[in-house]
Amino acid sequence: MAASFSLVGWNRFKRSYDFALILGVALFFAAHLAAGFLGAPAGQAPSELQVVIRASGAAAFSLLTFILCIGPMARLTPRALPLLYNRRHLGVTCFLIALVHAALVLLWYHGFSQVNAFISLLTSNPRYGSFGGFPFESLGLAALLILFVMAATSHDFWNAVLGPRLWKALHMGVYAAYGLLVAHVMLGAAQGETGLAQAALAGGSALLVAGLHIAAGRREAARDAAETEPADGWLNAGLAADIADGRAVIVVPPEGERIAVFRDGAKVYAVANACRHQGGPLGEGRILDGCIVCPWHGFQYRPEDGCSPPPFTEKIQTYRTRITGGRVFVEAAPQPPGTAIAPSLIEEAG
Amino acid sequence: MADDPFFVGWQDNVPKLSRRKVLLAGAGLALGAGALGLGLGNQAPAPGPGVWDQGRKLAMTGTIYPEPYLHLLTEDLGGGPRPVFLVGQGKDRITVRPALTFTGAAVTGTMIERGEHAMMAVDDIYADPAPGRVMPGPETDLGEVVMTGEILDAKCWFGAMRPGHGKTHKACASLCARGGLPLAFCETGRCGEGKAALLFLDARGRAFGPEIIPLVADPVIIRGRIFEVAGLRQVRVALGDVVRL
Ligand code: HEM
Ligand code: FES
Repeated sequence: MAASFSLVGWNRFKRSYDFALILGVALFFAAHLAAGFLGAPAGQAPSELQVVIRASGAAAFSLLTFILCIGPMARLTPRALPLLYNRRHLGVTCFLIALVHAALVLLWYHGFSQVNAFISLLTSNPRYGSFGGFPFESLGLAALLILFVMAATSHDFWNAVLGPRLWKALHMGVYAAYGLLVAHVMLGAAQGETGLAQAALAGGSALLVAGLHIAAGRREAARDAAETEPADGWLNAGLAADIADGRAVIVVPPEGERIAVFRDGAKVYAVANACRHQGGPLGEGRILDGCIVCPWHGFQYRPEDGCSPPPFTEKIQTYRTRITGGRVFVEAAPQPPGTAIAPSLIEEAG
Repeated sequence: MADDPFFVGWQDNVPKLSRRKVLLAGAGLALGAGALGLGLGNQAPAPGPGVWDQGRKLAMTGTIYPEPYLHLLTEDLGGGPRPVFLVGQGKDRITVRPALTFTGAAVTGTMIERGEHAMMAVDDIYADPAPGRVMPGPETDLGEVVMTGEILDAKCWFGAMRPGHGKTHKACASLCARGGLPLAFCETGRCGEGKAALLFLDARGRAFGPEIIPLVADPVIIRGRIFEVAGLRQVRVALGDVVRL
């Protein structure tokens, strides 16, 4: 959170996460290189650097595919939530591997000549007007630049400086980069005599990412449709007794942001559903030690005023609530972020 | 669902159960990454049987001809005079003092070879009267052909880059073509593992100029005539008879 961006907290989970990441990347490279060298027909040794170029391209692309699957997977099953933590480690790793890929391409395919390697990169294949002949390298370059901007601004410091909206909008650029990369592979390696595997990699990955996003989006849409229910400025959030202790229900007003209605023992509070960090669904989080905890990266907010506990400074909007006949109602209009509101109390039945 | 442990990544005490799950999942994902790497690495395009042993220096004698591409006509390879193309370490042509051409010469360097094709990355060239003037002998006209395939930069395809053909190699091939290195032609389906290619020349049997650069490495159909000179086959094509597919 805002006050913690200077200190990097290393706990056991983060270490395991990074260990799995490094192990995964190492195994991918080892297996890819081994297959590349040992799988070649007898008497046909591939150039070492070219094998590394292919392995690093495939590693970066596969990692990016995985990164893009985590978001919708976490929407579909809470089991995938741990992958969201430290996802930026995956992003930065992906960028670094892609950088190695690009640097080796520049050295090997565009070097050893009187023509400047960067100029060669953009001009050696001048067929910008062609589809099948398009210079796929320039697509990779554009994607690499986007990945660079995102890796450079991935830290929560930049989220705090730019504000969550701008930061999020910026990081949506990853989808543009991914589209460019699918084209990079389709119009590059997949055009070769044995390009079927690369076409399958790029096409299959794109379908997987798109399919997961559509599935997550449909599920969300179905839930939203079920819950809209306006009545003179107050929204029906259902029976108080139906809200599990320490949990929330999410209410979708006809317009404006979703609202998370939490129950903490006998007290009912309502706050904005979108986390101040990266817009995570607070209503899918829990109340732990008196604070709402975001399911995505664990940002905390006090339910009574929407403020993060000191030393943190994040604030989210709060909403007035009332309970009538065992039903919780939430005022559709939010209070300014950080406004303290007394909870509604659930009366003991009987 | 109500009592499943809620995961908070910054907590030190990740619950025991979820810690085991996290470790298992991490190991599973890492192994999955390895399997994916194996699968993708296995799908490599054929590197082709070219070799460039940069550790093995050797010397060869013969006669240097600057046309159509700088080469040494030598009898050192056996079986009559054969051309060994002379190139440098990079993607640009080398020049030879006129005094060393059309007469006995010795060349040292490393060999780039694929099948019958030979090229030398030159370290040094000096006069050597011993071989005298090696002559290419008469050329044989083998008739007209129409072929589909790809214009190659011969250095990479002979073995400097493996694989050294196809679209992923186009940028590099353009640099080699711009640098004046020899061009060759392979037929579709034989560019990968194949051992034979044709020297690619204009209709009058000379090297193409920069006008050919945009066409290298693209799938093309050509109509031309095949000739054999000093044991090496060449295809002579007018620029207008090279059509992109
Ligand atoms: C300046 C940027 C880039 C350049 C110049 C570039 C260039 C290339 C070249 C020349 C190849 C063909 C390699 C070969 O077959 O020998 C290639 C393949 C590939 N590139 Fe890139 N690339 C760039 C960026 C990227 C990025 C950012 C990614 C992914 C994150 C990527 C992913 C791939 C993949 C997956 C392949 C196919 C590998 C295979 O054959 O299996 N590239 N790239
Ligand atoms: S979105 Fe990151 S903690 Fe809520």
